[in-house]
Order: sequence, then C-alpha cells, then structure tokens
Amino acid sequence: MRAALSVEHRAASPEAYTLAEERLLRSGFRELDAALGGGFPRGVITTLEGPPGSGRSAIAARLLANATSQGLAALVESPGGAEGAFYPPALVAAGVDLSRLLVVRADDATAVARAADILLRAAAFGVVVIPGVALRAAAWTRLASLTHRANAVLVTLGTAASDELRYFASVRVRMSPATVRWSGEGGLFCTLAGLDVEAAILKHKRAAPGKRARVVCATFEAREGAPLAQTTLRERTVATAERTQTRGRDVAV
Amino acid sequence: MPVVCVLASSYKVSIARLNDAALAEVPVIVADRRERGHAIAVCPQAYALGARVGMTLVQAAAAAREATVVVDDPARGRALWERVLDALDAASPLVEDAGDGVAYLEMRGIPGSERAWLASVRDALAADAECAALPLSAGFATNKFAARMAALAGNGTIVRIGEERSFVAPLPLQVLGLDPGTLERLDLLGVRDLRTLAALPHGPFVRRFGPESADWHARAGGVDETPVVPRPRRIAIERKMFGEGTAEREEQLLFALRTLVARVADDIAYAGKRCGALELELECEDGDRIALATTLAQPTAQSTTLFDLLRARLEGTALQSPVIGLRLVAQRLEEGGTELSLFAGSDPDPEVVGIALARLEAALGPSAVRRASVIAGNRYEARAAYEAFAGDAFTRSPRISFAPPLAPNEIGTLAYRILAPRAIDVRVLRGRPAIVTLPGAAPSTVIDVAGPWRVDEAWWAEPIANDAYDVLLDDGALLRIVDERGTWFLYGSYD
Repeated sequence: MRAALSVEHRAASPEAYTLAEERLLRSGFRELDAALGGGFPRGVITTLEGPPGSGRSAIAARLLANATSQGLAALVESPGGAEGAFYPPALVAAGVDLSRLLVVRADDATAVARAADILLRAAAFGVVVIPGVALRAAAWTRLASLTHRANAVLVTLGTAASDELRYFASVRVRMSPATVRWSGEGGLFCTLAGLDVEAAILKHKRAAPGKRARVVCATFEAREGAPLAQTTLRERTVATAERTQTRGRDVAV
Repeated sequence: MPVVCVLASSYKVSIARLNDAALAEVPVIVADRRERGHAIAVCPQAYALGARVGMTLVQAAAAAREATVVVDDPARGRALWERVLDALDAASPLVEDAGDGVAYLEMRGIPGSERAWLASVRDALAADAECAALPLSAGFATNKFAARMAALAGNGTIVRIGEERSFVAPLPLQVLGLDPGTLERLDLLGVRDLRTLAALPHGPFVRRFGPESADWHARAGGVDETPVVPRPRRIAIERKMFGEGTAEREEQLLFALRTLVARVADDIAYAGKRCGALELELECEDGDRIALATTLAQPTAQSTTLFDLLRARLEGTALQSPVIGLRLVAQRLEEGGTELSLFAGSDPDPEVVGIALARLEAALGPSAVRRASVIAGNRYEARAAYEAFAGDAFTRSPRISFAPPLAPNEIGTLAYRILAPRAIDVRVLRGRPAIVTLPGAAPSTVIDVAGPWRVDEAWWAEPIANDAYDVLLDDGALLRIVDERGTWFLYGSYD
C-alpha cells in the first residue's frame, strides 16, 4: 500500500521527486544504493575505505561512469604512489567516458588538496575522486564547504580514513573482499573472473548507518568475454583478520 | 618569373638529427609512432640498407638492422620550418610555404643577379643559428619545378632561361611525385625519364592518362606555370607596459595586468578575431624575465576571461623582485566566433572549465592535467595513453541534451590499478609463486594463482620477455606480479 501511495504521489508531483533525486548520485548497485538511502548524497565528502583488493576503486569507477554520462568528472591520482593509477581500459569497461574525465596527477598530499580545491571551485565536475590523503582539519573544512557549494560528490579512496577525514566525511563506506571468483582450476587456463565485496556503511549523516550491501564485480577482461553467470567458476572466500575486526569494532551488527 | 627554391631533403630526418646529435653519423628511420608505427622518412644510408618509406616499423627495422629508429616530432618540425620561412622574409617579400622542407621565393623586382639572389637567401638563413644548422639547399630557375630540381641537384645550382628542358631531361619520373601504379604503366610503355616523357605527343598522352597528366608533360619539358603563392601573413597582437612604475604587491600587478588585457582584448575584437593562446612576459627589477604561456580551452576575445586565465596562471608563480614591465601577446588568432546557445542544457561552461585547467596547470605543472585514452597494444602497459585535456570535451552542445543516466547494472567492473614496477621477493614452490613479500611488509601466502601469461616481443629492439601471474594473497590483496628473467616485480593490483 505504501508503494502504491508512493507511486501515486510521485505521479502527482514529479518535480518534487526530480529535485530530491538530484541530491543523490546512484551507483546503480541496487543493494548498495538501498543501504545508502537511495544513493551517494551530493554535496558531501564520501570515503570509500578498505585495503587494496576490496573493490573500492570499482565503486569509484561506477560513480565516475555515472558522472561522465551527464557531464564532467575528475580523477586525482598519484601514479608513483602506493595506490598507483587507474587503468584506462578498465575504466572504459566500467562505462566511463574518458573524453569527459579529467585525470590530474598530484604527487603529494598538498598537491591533492590544491587539485581538489580548484576542481570543486569550478563547480563543473559532478564527481571528484581523490586519494584519501592525510590533511589538516582546515583543509578538509575548506573542501567540505566547496563540495557543498558545487553540489558535487568528493570521493576519497584509501585504506583507512584519518581522524580529520572521519570527522568531515558525511558518508563513510567500508569495503572488504568477500569472495574471489576464478574461471578454471588454476594455472595457465585459469583467469581472475571477479570479486564479491561487502560494503558496510560506517557513517551516514542523511540516512541510517550500519547497513550492509554486497556488490558483485567482474574483471574488465571477463566482462568483454563470456557473461559471468555462464562461466565455470571456482570461488574462494576471503576471510581476513581486518575484516573480522571491522565487523566487531565499527559496525553494529 | 625568377624563383629560388629552398629545399631540405629528408626534413624529418634532419629534425631528428638536430634533436639528437648522436644520430649525425648513423642511419636513421623516422616513424610516426613507436607502437605499430610506419616509417615516414628514411635517410639515404637507411635507404641503401633497404628501409623504405611506408614500411611497417618492424619491416623497416628488419631491413636496416643498423639503423636507429626515432619517433617523429611534428611540433618541433613545424616550429623550425616557421623559423626558416620567417628568416627567408629577409630575402624576398613573396615566400611560399610548400610544406615542411620546401619553400619558394619569387625574386622578380629585386635588384641583382641569380648569384646575388642565392647569396641573399644564404645570408638570410645564416642569420638564424637554428636555420643554419639545417642542411638546406637552394636552387634558382625561372619556374618552381625547375627551381626545385635545381635545389635537388645541389646547393647553388642555377638553371638559366632556356636551359630548363635540357636540365630536367635526364631526371627519373619519380621527381614528378607520381603514384606507383602510374609509374608502372609508364615503365611498361618504356617511359623512364623526363626526356622520354616530354617527347611523347601531348594530346594522345593527356587523353590516355587524364587531365592531371598535362602538368606532368609540361614539367617534363621544363615548364611550370603555377605561380608562387605567398604564405598568409600572421597578425601579431602584442601590447607592452613599461616605464609606468613598479608593481611590488600582487594587487598592483593584477591592476596593471587588467589594463593590459583590456587593451589586447580591444585589439583582438578590432581585428575580428578570437584568441586561442596568450603569452605573458614579466620583467622584474633584478633583470629576471618570466614567461607564462596559457592556452584557452575555447578561443575568445572577452577581456574578463583572458584576465581570469592569466590571474590563475600567475597563482603558481613566485616573484623574487618587483615587476617593472609587462608584455602580452595574443596567439592562435581565429576568425570570428560562434554564439553560445542559451539552451545548452547542463553542459559545463567552457570558460569556467578553462580557468580551472589553467589553475591546475599553474599549481601542478603543465603535464599534470591530462585525458586518458585507450589504444591498441599487446602489453597491458601499452594499451593506454595520456594526452592534453582538449577543449572539445566540454564544448557546449547547441541544444539541450537529455542523456539518460546509465542503466542500473548489478555487476560492477573491478578496477585495475597500475603501479610503478617495484621489485618484490617471491618464493616459488613447484614452479608457482607461493609466498610474496612486498617492500616493507610481512610475507604473505599465495592462496590462488592464475598464469603464467608469457609476453615475448620487441626482439628486434629492446627485448621484452616476462611471465605475468594474478595472485590472491592471504590478506585479500589481488595482485599482478611479473617474473622478468628471475627478478620479480609488482605491476598492478585489482581493486
């Protein structure tokens, strides 16, 4: 009945819903969007936290794809750093329009902050992805203010957020690998097929935190080949100490 | 019509040798690009070894193994040729740019003899050190074709009136620039030089080979009636501000700059042009000169936009002493302008994005702002390229676009992150990686492994031979590691 009422109300007042939807950027992953209360909120800092291999870059790539389908997006990265640089063919496979993606090279934390400041000040980039560097609280205050003014989504990617970033981020999503899928038994005839990741909403200022979602990812090479469901798959569950600790400490289960 | 031709044979090879002095004595092949490239110029030594223009790079390198392969630098080539043309302006007011490496000068009305004209061309080129470094050859004749053949024959060759036909007669047909099919047809008819071609009856030859063959026949007889077409004059819009006090503070400098920009913008609008690039030079009290070049995302004549861009560019500049002079040059002037639509939908304002790009370049350096593209390549690392973020990405569309958002897709795409290759320690058990130790980390056990995938290529140049593996470590990391002849490297990670 609630659903029916909602549909009727929506039909009666489409403008109100359009405005409401403009405040969210959907990832397209139904479970994750539902856990976030509809999608990633615009105008705030969002952190995607997790160790390498946890799928945080895959979520960021999906957000960039959505942003470039409507306008411009920006990606700030440090190719020489520990996290490396996004691989353009994988971004294309994720749906990113590379002609509308500005890639900025920033080699240290100050350069990242300056780049994010300039990009957000332009208010022309719907999504700005930056590495989760350690900055002073004053810098995060400024970036949070600019993000709000630009109505953009500032996404930080990193293993763990600094204390300052934890405070200024309105949405914090903790990613961890759950299942790794391989096609084939091993060796030469085996390829990495994909990864299931678990997303835990650690903090959300506009919706209820503590929810969890599962996201299925395929490698870009697997996506170009046979559909994931039709491939002979071998699964390996990943149970890391860090993941167990995350459950116990940050998220109310 | 007295004509002097200035010719740089193998111009691209000359540019490559100017860029790298070590190439002066070795055979050189110039390619359009390194990956899957083609030879676009070869020096005489490489030609003698068997390399030919149009061959794939692999073919050319295999034919001339001793030759060094270099990638073409068209920007440098064009810039240097512009300098040559500018230098030739001193010898004649009518200079034709016939492409990189060829120029014609009409000498009619200039007092002097053939030798004096050639000497004036030599002097004009010698005045510029970079032009003098190029192996240029000049020849004189009474028409363009004969003058070019004279320059080809040797520097300082003179073909006097009435000698054109006899001068070009022994030359092979290739000098006419005919396509291989036509050359083969003429060869089958026994026509192999210009003398034989000129001896053919004009009418039947043109009927058989088409209207363009009339030119071939005329040139074979030493006749070329095409006029020398002067190159378009470049309008230079430049304003200076000197002797009006010193700017010690940022506000003073910006005030002066705003005035200067307004004058330049007026000049651009008066000429009916739009400006695509700006060059600002600051002269400081201590004699230091700082040059700042700025490219506009979309050409404009609006002074506010030009000022905002220059101010953004200045943000990254540290001045050691007060500024005593400013010089501003508007470059890349284009005709007219297009009206921006009022109904441009949600596309970003190109000027806003242009200013953001200028700020980023000022803050992080010109190479920090890029756009990625996917290219064909065998290896992972060779499948992506980066280029300057051009303005066409954010040019406003003339109508409102209602692009639907991407359709929901429950399966995402795992991203791959390229890492700067780092040596790692890998213990191998039964021929497969078993324990991986990353720099500064504890050893991790390999839970699953896929591979190896062997890469073995470029054997003709710098051999690349390695075995790549995808490994899942016990901490959940998904890495691509590579065994390069016993040394292990971390190449990337899935995330």
